[in-house]
Amino acid sequence: MLLDFDKLGSWRWVLCAICVAMALFLLLPILFIVALSFGSSRWLIFPPPGWTLKWYGELFADPRWLGAALTSAKIGVIVMALSVALGLLASLALVRGKFRGRAVLRAFFLTPMVLPVVIVAVALYAAFLRLGLNGTLPGFVIAHLIVALPFAIITLTGALETFDPAIEDAAILCGASPWEARLRVTLPGIRHGVFSAAIFSFLISWDEVVLAIFMASPSLQTLPVKVWTTLRQDLTPVIAAASTLLVALTVILMIAAALIRKGKSE
Amino acid sequence: MTAPFLHINGIRKTYGDVVATDHVELTIAEGEFMTFLGPSGSGKSTTLYILAGFQDPTAGDIRLRGRSILQTPSHKRNIGMVFQRYTLFPHLSVGENVAFPLRVRRMGQAEVTEKVKRALKLVRLDGFEDRMPARMSGGQQQRVALARALVYDPPVLLMDEPLSALDKKLREEIQHEIRRIHQETGVTILYVTHDQEEALRLSDRIAIFNRGKIEQVGTGPELYAGPATHFVADFIGDSAFLAGELDGIAGDQAGLRFADGTRVAGIPLHGAGRQGQAAELMLRPERVELTLEPGPQGRSLPVVVEDMTFLGNNTTVSARTGWGAALTVRLNFGHPLSAGLTRGDRLHIRWSPEAAHAFVKG
Repeated sequence: MLLDFDKLGSWRWVLCAICVAMALFLLLPILFIVALSFGSSRWLIFPPPGWTLKWYGELFADPRWLGAALTSAKIGVIVMALSVALGLLASLALVRGKFRGRAVLRAFFLTPMVLPVVIVAVALYAAFLRLGLNGTLPGFVIAHLIVALPFAIITLTGALETFDPAIEDAAILCGASPWEARLRVTLPGIRHGVFSAAIFSFLISWDEVVLAIFMASPSLQTLPVKVWTTLRQDLTPVIAAASTLLVALTVILMIAAALIRKGKSE
Repeated sequence: MTAPFLHINGIRKTYGDVVATDHVELTIAEGEFMTFLGPSGSGKSTTLYILAGFQDPTAGDIRLRGRSILQTPSHKRNIGMVFQRYTLFPHLSVGENVAFPLRVRRMGQAEVTEKVKRALKLVRLDGFEDRMPARMSGGQQQRVALARALVYDPPVLLMDEPLSALDKKLREEIQHEIRRIHQETGVTILYVTHDQEEALRLSDRIAIFNRGKIEQVGTGPELYAGPATHFVADFIGDSAFLAGELDGIAGDQAGLRFADGTRVAGIPLHGAGRQGQAAELMLRPERVELTLEPGPQGRSLPVVVEDMTFLGNNTTVSARTGWGAALTVRLNFGHPLSAGLTRGDRLHIRWSPEAAHAFVKG
């Protein structure tokens, strides 16, 4: 190999240092927040003068925080289900279909990824004002579905492309109708892709804040929105505790996604 | 007259201007092993895929026991198929793969277990029920695919180059298995391959495909001994072709004249030809004899020996005709001529009446 790590000599240490610096750059803010959530000072002092679980107690005692978390979870699960279902249908058409303009349609499906989120948010806000969807659960779900769906489609088209259509043909000749073949053979065959799509769809909704701020009402808000509004009122370590829990769930799901990918490659 | 078991009646398939198959006409008897042999793009796979129902023909009909099957969707045709690529369902065990066709037919568990066991025994994989496909060799996977295609007793089994991904030794082993399974089950098999040796080894009859058409149908020996066209003669067995022109046609026999004026006569002629039309003389090298004297009735040609190669059981002699065309002739070990042969020897090649054919060109 051109760049063999073992043959780099003293450059090795430079590379290591750059990697460590990168990791710290990415991780330090999160570690900082986690440390503050267990710190005893009310004023977010670092390093914390002592350690406490008080802020977690306050967090769980406040029904507004729990309500926001529950809303987030509810929206996340619905977005996940819809994103996977619609993503599967779209991917089947894009990969197995034989109609003109497939490539264009595929690029079109991915535009929400490259469009600035705030523009999508403003457009949706204006549209939902007419439809009366602002501040409602369907409003949240539709908004998050728009940004989650491209990720589901990328993952699922990728999985379908590696699944030999001859296997589906074999199932059909065995006597399964085309839809039965897709359900009983293709779907289990790409289940790793389906799980990945589900996890990413949930995560995108779970920590999305821009669209959620536009959609939120005082009575209905997600956890990131609650963090954001609380932050603007007072700087309490409860925010750090909430953020830590948000990050914790994200990390757990990311690990799950990584394990699924590993299981697939074995 | 009763209707043939399977009748492929004038199947034509076009993609825009491209003709994939053109008026393919064939009848297959129940229990027959029929092979579609031809180069890639000759329409043999297209014909098979139309039978499977994955493609619709532009024109023509396919009748099974006198009934058209074209209106029946693939999954209701009750046809078995083994594919070129490995198509076992990756998330199911071997047992569940073979059970799949029975499960979609809502068969009871006891019967499923019994039939799966019998099908796996047929392909000599009894006891592999719990193995996952990813943990099996390519040969084993194709045998499971065969069991899965036979477990529901289809009237017709289609095989689309099922052994092309396997190495030569394994291929020959599974060819024997396929022959045995054909004899044991009596299932009608349509087999697609581009490998003439495989076709000869397996088939009752072979249909030779070329450019979307069937050139000739017959048993291996029939095709070998009596090729109807240049293409068939070239595709089945070794053959040498000498270009000349027709000179003296008498019934189905013809004479040929070559560039230097040399003439041969009494050659069976395939295709309608006129005096003076370009034609080819085809000879099977193993049916040609090297002699000191010319043969009777114009069935010989003078040649000059160019080179000899000793190959153990035979000596291969490279020779050239008077007008410069190259030929090879084999002399079996111990042949009286092989000892004294030297370069530049002027000899004759001779052939028996049935070993030569003349094909009109164009």
